[in-house]
Amino acid sequence: MTTMQRAPAGAAPSTRGTRDRRRGGPLRRVPLLVWMFLLVPLAVELFWVFWPAMNSFSLSFTSWKGVGAAKPVGLENYQRLAADPIFHTALRNNVIWVVGFGGLSVVGGLALAVALNRPGRGVGFYRSAIYLPMVISLAVTGLFWRVMYQPDGPIDAGLGVLGLDWLQRQWLADPDTALYAVLIAAVWRQVGYIMVLYLAGLKGTDPTLEEAAAVDGANAWQRFWRIVMPQLRGVNTVVFAVTVIDSLRTFDIVWAMTRGGPYNTTQLLSTYMFQQAFTVVNLGYGSAIAVVIFLLAIAFIITYLARQARAEES
Amino acid sequence: MSTPPFSRRSFLLGAASLTTVPLLASCVGTGADGGAGGGTTALTLQSWIQDAGPKAALESVVAAFDGPPVTLNSVATEQFRAQLSTYLTSATPPDVLGWYAGSVANSYADEGLLLDVSDLWAPGGACANFSDALRALSTGADGKAIFVPQNYYWWSIFYKKSAFQQWGVQPPKTWDEFIALCDTLKARGIHPLTNGIGSTAWMSAGWFDYLNLRINGAGYHRELLAGKHSFEDPQVTAVLEQYARLVPYFHPNQTSWDAQQAVTPMVNNEAAMYLVGAFCTEYFPADQRDDLDFFSVPTIDPSVPSAEEAPTDGFFAAAGSQNPEGAKQLLSYLASAPAQQSFIEKSGSSNLPTSPDVDTSTFSPLVQKGITLLNETAEITQFFNRDSSDALQTTADAALTQFIANPSDIRGTQRQWQQAAQQVFSS
Repeated sequence: MTTMQRAPAGAAPSTRGTRDRRRGGPLRRVPLLVWMFLLVPLAVELFWVFWPAMNSFSLSFTSWKGVGAAKPVGLENYQRLAADPIFHTALRNNVIWVVGFGGLSVVGGLALAVALNRPGRGVGFYRSAIYLPMVISLAVTGLFWRVMYQPDGPIDAGLGVLGLDWLQRQWLADPDTALYAVLIAAVWRQVGYIMVLYLAGLKGTDPTLEEAAAVDGANAWQRFWRIVMPQLRGVNTVVFAVTVIDSLRTFDIVWAMTRGGPYNTTQLLSTYMFQQAFTVVNLGYGSAIAVVIFLLAIAFIITYLARQARAEES
Repeated sequence: MSTPPFSRRSFLLGAASLTTVPLLASCVGTGADGGAGGGTTALTLQSWIQDAGPKAALESVVAAFDGPPVTLNSVATEQFRAQLSTYLTSATPPDVLGWYAGSVANSYADEGLLLDVSDLWAPGGACANFSDALRALSTGADGKAIFVPQNYYWWSIFYKKSAFQQWGVQPPKTWDEFIALCDTLKARGIHPLTNGIGSTAWMSAGWFDYLNLRINGAGYHRELLAGKHSFEDPQVTAVLEQYARLVPYFHPNQTSWDAQQAVTPMVNNEAAMYLVGAFCTEYFPADQRDDLDFFSVPTIDPSVPSAEEAPTDGFFAAAGSQNPEGAKQLLSYLASAPAQQSFIEKSGSSNLPTSPDVDTSTFSPLVQKGITLLNETAEITQFFNRDSSDALQTTADAALTQFIANPSDIRGTQRQWQQAAQQVFSS
């Protein structure tokens, strides 16, 4: 039972074990070429990823228009952020986004995975159909949904056919609906991805356990939460990390659909950062927003991974 | 024991390097050939133009240049805007770049990033005969010319002659007639005005600019945009009060449309008038373009001198250009009358040439009328963002689109706008 439970995560260590036994000292025996393969990408990563990232930290303490020397301003950018009403809107929208985007795509993806994790006619077709939006880039998804939402577009027309005329509105231009309209478009695309992750996880669960529980009289609900879910822990970690990172870095779809409008009501931290840094070219202020996004993402992920690690130890 | 995999890997590595090295070498090779073949360093022209007609027109104009070989890069406008400072500060900047005249070009000139093109404006130069207004617009704070205007266009209220005829209405002469016309059209179920303030929220500033020009005049308008007045001024209140009168006349879908989609109801005779730049003619179906006419936003206060918006597009060269002489040669060519004429004819828009030597007699009556409009007006401004900055434009976008959604809260709009503008001016 324990081996089965650990199967997905345990695969890598077990092969390393056999190789170590065969070769002895693990580090000395690693061929030079392998070191090269590790070190060269590391150097590239340090130079092209970490170095610019560090630069954006130092930029966030300056005022810089992209030309001339950056003027150090200390914490002024962060003080301005604290008083900036658009930043507050963006922060609030990001919370809505993480909860809505993460929640809906995980619930939807898990439900679809469970529903489609059994042999049946057309299951393959449904799986591919649901996964298909994932192959479309977010910007294209945004353009596609803009057409769907446009006045007298398919969605309003559909509501009209159903006799729900009172629901028709300018989805992307109405500040009450714009953010949620974009959210639905983003979830539409993400849900197939989450479904595939969970399908893979479900393939790794042990069906005999579920059968045994069924024999013991557990109903479907109990079997799912008590038997299947605990076995999906590894997948859950991945899904959580992917979802949080994806929702904090969401940019393209909002930019393609609303550009943060109408009047900044769909602004996310990422779109506001882009607007400040690249449209208005306030690189210092934009970097300060980028730092906030980074800290939020790191805080989320580290807390979750730490909790996960503790849970696995105990 | 580790030998077999090692040798396989080194084989792969060797194979990879064998294939890449010639590739790299061939890249270097072509670069060198291109430079040597032209006799002088090749030029790069960075363009932001994305509308299909003008883009193709520029491509064909550049192809006809008989100087050093020119590589034309057309970059998406938003990306161009974002990266302009990066282009100019890089070690090997593009030699010539297209952009707007006015405050943005001047701010780069202040940083010493633009090539001094004063000799093009000196007697005998390509721009020598351009108007004084254009000369002033193209000159930086230190008196050096840094810009070469290529074309400009006017803003006005466009309408379709056939539609007005069908509805039995006339273009208005006064502001009261204009409001009366809007009422008449609205009563007949026609949307009097259209606009596209969805993804092009800046279009909402067109009406703001014109109302401000008509009520407070060009002087106040420029000073307001330069931060010398507050958006909480009673003058701005007066502008927004007039704007609020217009809000019910707009097609309600304007908040979802962009500048181009806003043309659709006019094409279908569901909307009557559109305050927009002359670039809009390209948005209409070809068979309706001759049907278009325009009238200037009517006078509101007769004591205020007339003013029109005429944004000017053109080119500047990077101070760091590897081939400054070649860059000036290209600029001179682009400013020349034949190149301007060819660009305007091929682009299908109704832009006006900046060179007085272009023979405009073959241009459409609409363009002739546009030339007359700009020649007769007392003051010329550009547009909100070009007279201020892209940063101030974002505050106008937010303030005005919110105001259009809720036109009753004029004081609140002004207060929020001023707060946002303050941030822009203080940063």
